[in-house]
Amino acid sequence: MGKPKTEIKKLYTLSSENKRFSFTQPLKHSIRIGQRDYEVKLKSDEKHGTYILWKNRKYPVEIVRSRQNRYEILFNDISYTFTVETPFSMKRMKVLNTGKEKSNKVELKAPMPGKIIDVLVREGSSVLRGEPLVILEAMKMQNEIQSPANGKVTRVVVKSNSNVMKDDLLIEILSDQTGNR
Amino acid sequence: MKIKRILIANRGEIAVRIIKTARKMKIETVAVKTSVEPNALFLTMADIVFDNTEDSTDIPVFLNIERLVDIALKTGSDAVHPGYGFLAENAYFAQKCSDNGIVFIGPSPDSIYKMGNKTIARKIALASGIPMATGSQGNIGNEEEAAAVAEKIGYPVIIKAASGGGGRGMRIVRRPDEMEKMFLIASKEAEKAFNDPSVFVEKYIENPKHIEFQILGDQEGNIIHLGERECSIQRKHQKLLEEAPSPALDNELRSTMGQMAIKIAQAVRYYSAGTVEFLLDSEKNFYFMEMNTRIQVEHPVTEMITGIDLIEQQIRIASGEKLKIRQDDVKLKGWAIECRINAEDVQAGFAPDPGKIEKLSLPCGANIRVDTGVEAGSSIIASYDSMIAKLIVRGKDRKDAIRKTKLALDKVWIKGSKTTLPFFRMLVRNTKFIDGSFTTAFIEKDLEKYYYNSEYEEMLAAWLATKLFIEENLLDNSIPVDFENSKDMSPWLMNKRINQF
Repeated sequence: MGKPKTEIKKLYTLSSENKRFSFTQPLKHSIRIGQRDYEVKLKSDEKHGTYILWKNRKYPVEIVRSRQNRYEILFNDISYTFTVETPFSMKRMKVLNTGKEKSNKVELKAPMPGKIIDVLVREGSSVLRGEPLVILEAMKMQNEIQSPANGKVTRVVVKSNSNVMKDDLLIEILSDQTGNR
Repeated sequence: MKIKRILIANRGEIAVRIIKTARKMKIETVAVKTSVEPNALFLTMADIVFDNTEDSTDIPVFLNIERLVDIALKTGSDAVHPGYGFLAENAYFAQKCSDNGIVFIGPSPDSIYKMGNKTIARKIALASGIPMATGSQGNIGNEEEAAAVAEKIGYPVIIKAASGGGGRGMRIVRRPDEMEKMFLIASKEAEKAFNDPSVFVEKYIENPKHIEFQILGDQEGNIIHLGERECSIQRKHQKLLEEAPSPALDNELRSTMGQMAIKIAQAVRYYSAGTVEFLLDSEKNFYFMEMNTRIQVEHPVTEMITGIDLIEQQIRIASGEKLKIRQDDVKLKGWAIECRINAEDVQAGFAPDPGKIEKLSLPCGANIRVDTGVEAGSSIIASYDSMIAKLIVRGKDRKDAIRKTKLALDKVWIKGSKTTLPFFRMLVRNTKFIDGSFTTAFIEKDLEKYYYNSEYEEMLAAWLATKLFIEENLLDNSIPVDFENSKDMSPWLMNKRINQF
């Protein structure tokens, strides 16, 4: 452990649903609930692997991914994605976000590895939210991959009989501004 | 004939389950070692392991009838237990075994055939006066014919594979314009899964409960039922949680439905363990759906409340013993719940998450039973099902069983794959689950969130992300990942991270 590089006293950790958690830097190894501080420990042993010990309970944890300030954490079997921001980067982010229009390109990705059985749409097809677009076979089950939005198909990336990995891009849709979210 | 050696034509937890009972009965077991999982747990438990790793045929051995019969003969097995899935409901396999003088631990090939073909099963049920959803007279040849039947019985309808099961080849059609597409999907899926594209159409019962009855029959024609299992918690026809008994049945309905289940079993001279599945609508009308001519995944909940070992009964019946349990002897004691802990990502629509189980620790206790085919270090392979373990908990009543399940869920420790645990943690806290009013539509219609986390868990995860950020970015000696000295990270995690770069 070395000394802090800069005089950052606070960090903001944002969840993918924009929940904000703030932490002091250097980081306290406790979390305050009401009037009490509860000690948090990151530990590891042969039987459990890596875990967090909090209030006498062990929670399994893994760091699934980290890239720059972005962390995907698996905590008690649930994935969370966070971005950690310093007060400076937080300010910059706010500036950048103002006036920026939200892209209405929607990417349909493979939810699981498998084989494409059928592609039910073509480029230019109009689709409705919930409409099946691709049939993906995984673990002997045929799964309908449905459109996440109303809109128009702009790109079809996969073909019948091709194999896909989890998170592979299948189809791109330009969503209508109406009727979504 | 006394069975002395059983070839287990299966793998995973059911192979382990069969071995346990065989041991108790002092019967030897033979397991088949495949190149796909040469270190599987069940292999370490069997008395004899047949090495099939050199097998270069295209068909997986557990689906290869000739090969299995050959292995049975080579290993001197006098009986074969098919488990569930694979060839468990293949009449030809059962016939082949008996042709070679090997006892098939299950019903007769004739019963398997008649109940396995859903169109024939429907006709038999109809002739026996079993209540059923209205539907097509037989198989349907094309989408026009399907549309005509649907027009007559009224939408919504369900298309089902004649040789189907487990939700494959099954599609609900709500509007006439969906018929063509759904018919083709169902038929294609049926052909792929069962080598038989034939489908039939029946009236779709909206929001039913899935109630199934456990049957036991001997070769002399004595048949009893062991009460019901409630299997309405399912997603895309895949069961996730089962319980026995069902909160929807009282003694009178139990007895009526149980008698109907026995009646259909009698119609095909059924022996061995079997399951008669019904749909129960909100007015408590019940409809025969199908009969499964094998041991079910969820059989432990029945065992927990009746004290009857179903595998033992299957073996005794197969060797020609008369059923010693009479209907009056069957007493349902307490309440049992089974959670199927699968390697699935609940946050990604239950997508399979195969991988190596790095750490595994399972609860135990007087009212807890865990059936599993894996141990720490085992892998969940994409080519098989995603089951890690079945957690079965018994309570004195339903409330007690739910309470104990909630505690037991927090004692399961699995690392290496995401699991369905967060789903069950949510379920045991859900009011509709707790009051018992849920139906098969529960997961799709009544749930906003598929998992549970306590309010502090996300905060703790955020704390960890922050800790990592500081270590990687704000400390003098920090480098992106300290591969050499990292003590806090498991090799699994390291691998996952390395893959990112």
